[in-house]
Amino acid sequence: MVRFVIRRLLFAVSTLFAISVLTFLLFFAVPSSPAEVMCGKQCNPTQIEQTEHRLGLDRTLVAQYGTFVAGIFAGRTIGAGDFIRQCPAPCLGYSFRTDEPVTDILKRTVPVTVSIVVGAATMWLLIGVSLGMTSALRRGTLFDRLAISVSLVGASLQVYFFGLVLLLLLVYRTDLLPAPSYTPFTENPAKWALGLLLPWITLGFLNSALYARLSRAQMLETLSEDFVRTARAKGLPKRQVHTRHALRAAITPLITIAGLDIGASLGGTVITESIFGLQGLGRVSVQAVEDLNLPIVLATVLLAATFIVLANIVVDMLYAVVDPRVRLS
Amino acid sequence: MSVPPAAPPDEPYLQVRDLTVQFPTEDGLVRAVDGVSFSVRRGQTLGIVGESGSGKSVTSLSILGLHNAARTRIGGEISVGGRNIVGMADEKIREMRGRDMAMIFQDSLSALHPYYRIGVQIAEAYRIHHPSSSKAEANRRAVEMLDRVGIPQPERRARSYPHEFSGGMRQRAMIAMSLVNDPALLIADEPTTALDVTVQAQILDLLADLQREFNSAIIMITHDLGVVAQIADEVLVMYAGRATETGSVEQVLRSAQHPYTWGLLASVPSLHGDAEIDLVPIKGNPPSLINLPTGCAFSPRCRYAGRNGNRSFVEAPQLRPAGQPGHLVACHLDADSRLKIYQEGIAHAGAAQ
Amino acid sequence: MRLKIGALAAGALSVALVASGCSKTENDSSNEDEKATVQAGAISYDANDNKGPAPAVEGAAKGGNLGVFLPDGFEHLDPARSVINVETLTNQMIARPLNGYREDGKGNLKVVGDLAENPGTDVNKDCKVWEFKIRQGVKFEDGSPITANDVAYGVARAFSPDLAEGPHYLQQWLAGTDYNASYKGPYNGGAEVPPGVTVPDAQTIRFTFPEPHCDMPYAATQSTSVPVPKAKDTKTEYDRKPFSSGPYKIKKYALGNSLVLERNPHWDPATDPLRTAYPDSITFDFTLAADQIAERLIANAPADQSYLSWVLVPAAQLQKTTMAGVKERVVSGPTTFVWYFYLNNQRIKDLNVRRALNYAIDKDAVLKAIGGSAAGTPATTLLSPTVAGFTKYDVFNAPATGDKAKAKELLGSTPPPPLVLAYANNPRRSAQAEAARKSLEAVGFQVTAKGIDPTVIGTELGRKDNPYDIYLGGWGADWPGGSTALAPLFDGRTITPTGNQNLAYFNEESVNTEIDRIRTLADPGEAAKAWGALDQKIMADYAPVVPAYYDNSYTLTGSKVGNASVSDAHGLPGLSNVFVKP
Repeated sequence: MVRFVIRRLLFAVSTLFAISVLTFLLFFAVPSSPAEVMCGKQCNPTQIEQTEHRLGLDRTLVAQYGTFVAGIFAGRTIGAGDFIRQCPAPCLGYSFRTDEPVTDILKRTVPVTVSIVVGAATMWLLIGVSLGMTSALRRGTLFDRLAISVSLVGASLQVYFFGLVLLLLLVYRTDLLPAPSYTPFTENPAKWALGLLLPWITLGFLNSALYARLSRAQMLETLSEDFVRTARAKGLPKRQVHTRHALRAAITPLITIAGLDIGASLGGTVITESIFGLQGLGRVSVQAVEDLNLPIVLATVLLAATFIVLANIVVDMLYAVVDPRVRLS
Repeated sequence: MSVPPAAPPDEPYLQVRDLTVQFPTEDGLVRAVDGVSFSVRRGQTLGIVGESGSGKSVTSLSILGLHNAARTRIGGEISVGGRNIVGMADEKIREMRGRDMAMIFQDSLSALHPYYRIGVQIAEAYRIHHPSSSKAEANRRAVEMLDRVGIPQPERRARSYPHEFSGGMRQRAMIAMSLVNDPALLIADEPTTALDVTVQAQILDLLADLQREFNSAIIMITHDLGVVAQIADEVLVMYAGRATETGSVEQVLRSAQHPYTWGLLASVPSLHGDAEIDLVPIKGNPPSLINLPTGCAFSPRCRYAGRNGNRSFVEAPQLRPAGQPGHLVACHLDADSRLKIYQEGIAHAGAAQ
Repeated sequence: MRLKIGALAAGALSVALVASGCSKTENDSSNEDEKATVQAGAISYDANDNKGPAPAVEGAAKGGNLGVFLPDGFEHLDPARSVINVETLTNQMIARPLNGYREDGKGNLKVVGDLAENPGTDVNKDCKVWEFKIRQGVKFEDGSPITANDVAYGVARAFSPDLAEGPHYLQQWLAGTDYNASYKGPYNGGAEVPPGVTVPDAQTIRFTFPEPHCDMPYAATQSTSVPVPKAKDTKTEYDRKPFSSGPYKIKKYALGNSLVLERNPHWDPATDPLRTAYPDSITFDFTLAADQIAERLIANAPADQSYLSWVLVPAAQLQKTTMAGVKERVVSGPTTFVWYFYLNNQRIKDLNVRRALNYAIDKDAVLKAIGGSAAGTPATTLLSPTVAGFTKYDVFNAPATGDKAKAKELLGSTPPPPLVLAYANNPRRSAQAEAARKSLEAVGFQVTAKGIDPTVIGTELGRKDNPYDIYLGGWGADWPGGSTALAPLFDGRTITPTGNQNLAYFNEESVNTEIDRIRTLADPGEAAKAWGALDQKIMADYAPVVPAYYDNSYTLTGSKVGNASVSDAHGLPGLSNVFVKP
């Protein structure tokens, strides 16, 4: 196990390294300079050069990349003369646009995205999986048919549509819910939950639909497995057959999907964040791409990649815990 | 209609009378089992033989009540230890499952739960019917059973997972699990098919051994007449959901009366000869159970069909005495023709024994 | 001044990101029947205009919290670094430059002294030496008096390469185009007063330029001349908490979320001719996107009623803004932007073809593609109606939908050249390009439409040898004078290999010399008139572009916001004289 984790972490680091290099290269392949974008019409070539120099964009790619990486581990000094600033490790630089330390930006946006995802994932796993499992067990009944139709509708809806409709119905037109907002959990848990309820419902419902279908199919498949028949042949009561034997096996593949879904979502739920006006990682990263804001682009890409890589490791480890046939090596 | 075997002095533990099992589907009604009767006494082994789709597995599943009740129509009578389980409440049947009747499945790898240790799975089977027993007791019992079925270091192996066992060991574990509650009836559905020949023999020996010890009634479901020859006392040959021939092992294997049985005998690889030559599979495929041929279900594949005018194609043959007591066959051929054909062709091929 | 990108609905600007300026126009912009006429310069030395307090707004009430919705927040609030309209409008609440715009909400705008007693004295009447007298009694948020030294220090800071994002006019006028080649601000041992600036006494600041700059009263409205006390200069950190000289000061600034302003108790309304500052506090909310802001203000829930918005209503929600209960809360008015189809004069050399293009383009369809009259009004001139000197004319007299017959007639029998139509690849611009393509093909042009990534289109079109013939771009003057409207676009001598703003690549000797002449006119009225005349001459004689439409600002407010109107100078509702209804 320990060896597995070490090996996978090493692999993760090299993946992240490759991604950071690629992001760097792609960024500079764009035929537009961030200095120019920042300066706008006011700048003549000299000023653009100065801006480039100030941002360190006039140095070689290798040097820039080296500084970036060194900054993450050892921190770095930015600026010169009266404008020297210490950027402590992990230093991801300063936003080209607002001059805010990127770590600060992450500190205020990551909790938003994490809150959205954690709440929504809890909802979709609880609702989706239990709905799917139940309708698999009641296959062919009215409940099953209803659940399938609802989840078909849910699966074909899009966040930007469903979210907006909910927003209109529950907030703008009726005031049933407060407009979505983010309050740190530590500040006021009730407000935190209330403010995020709508995105949770939206993402939760849509993904529930998906997970209901997935887990129903998975459960049906498992129910037809030989070992379920064996369990019944042993004389186990239905409930025990379903929970101890079928559910346990059916849920394993869902762990992979859910883990990767959650990992990917943590990198930013762009549409959800935009619709509900939440300043999360997704919106910040999209904005950064539009602004050619390299430090933020790099940081968000790396963070998203880290989430996905970590999710992979966690999923594999969970798998090994759940399924004794899986050996971590 | 069928004629039950002559009643033995002691009541058979399992008595199946005119069993029909049907699945309504969108394409039509599947008649998986169509009027089959048989019985097994304790200490006795019945071999049910047939190709896949002949209804033998469905028969065994319905005895345990493992069919999907919502999608199955079941008729006739299944009497287990004197209680008819057809129409019995599911909960009552469940209580009997694993305690009075148990089953061994063909593929022990898929039949055992991959996530639970062998010992746990056996102990679970024990505790469900011995609710007052402690966990430790159940575990002890599991280890004891593993030991009994010949698994070395049973305490250690009880902590292993199914995938860590070899095929033969796993099947032994499966047997241990099925016998943990001393069931009076054991149904073994192709228990040795997935195993290689030497292991197969060991497992069959083990079963025979255990049967002596526990005095259980065994139903051995197989497509392999060799297995039947080794372990069974009585044989029931099934085709397309019906019984085509039944009798003692001696009767059915040594003087088979039904062309289908002949075919089965011919397709058994001889242990002595060249498999390539010996193996004569029955031509054609089993019929669709939704659209059974009128008349004798076997007629499309039977080279002797039509020898009695068109009876084979209009009238389903009933089980009739085939000569020796207890030997019944469902065939339109008269006894003389059967004997003649058998002596000329089948015995010559020398397939069975 | 740069327009907030979001203000033009996400990536709306295809070319210039620069805008603003304006002038007194006699027409009420909401009333299309009135004809705009030539305007004299809007610089007012009238003592009444320059005297505090600002005229009271009828029916206004003091108090309450005014809210502002704007997507994505501010890049900078440091006066040396802020240039986007939302930043400038916000800075007006916490910072007072030498001059400011006094607007009456009906399109009338005057440049008056803000921190200064009047818009500046042209000492030698040659536009080279400008003197400003700081008002008596103006104070920073800590109660200390604002002096000319603080203004000089603010200008000095703007020379620093580390604080370079703001306007550059004053710096360049003082020290040349490469203004910080030698003097780099008051840091690292630099002088606290920049070259060309003197502070004879605490009340007086004097700018001496090598060249005449008659637009100085306009340039002094920019945030470059906001006072910054040296003791409070936190360099790059100043962006987070500028030291207030205005009616409000920063209470809480949560980057990416909100900014809350509270009253600056040391601000004296008697010293301020521009701001009534009715609300007790102002809250800026950055968390919503344009469409949500529109939805929320349409719904007008109690919590949102005291909010106005600094983002245009997206096309999807325009329909809803015509409902009763909503339409009364629309704040609409022209911005300084004019949108042109630039014709690449290096490629389309035939004047008749350029004229034919002016007849061919269906301006009405191009506007309808982005929301119709809410988005703008069909244009016939180069100058915006908000700019001093704007004269309404139409050299082609074609309907807004175009005149196909006239276009075909001009093209004659010669086959029209194939055209490459470039556009920013986003939904709005694509829709407009499609409308333009249809109208061009209707008169026989073969059109190849080429979408370009919005982030690079400026760079692409700015290359002198770009392979495109026609492209839509917006331009806004930095202030309401013709100099920042016409000169950057039509002075052929500014054309360089890359980074061009003269996107028509238009270069005519007579126009260049006329630009030089107007620039030295000391009388703002005379200059305005000359710019208006040049506008018409360029279109009549050369038709280097197709004026497409005058940009319009169209935003919503909640029902408790009083006296909101589009600032001609900034294209969005200003906050100086807005009040919250109780």
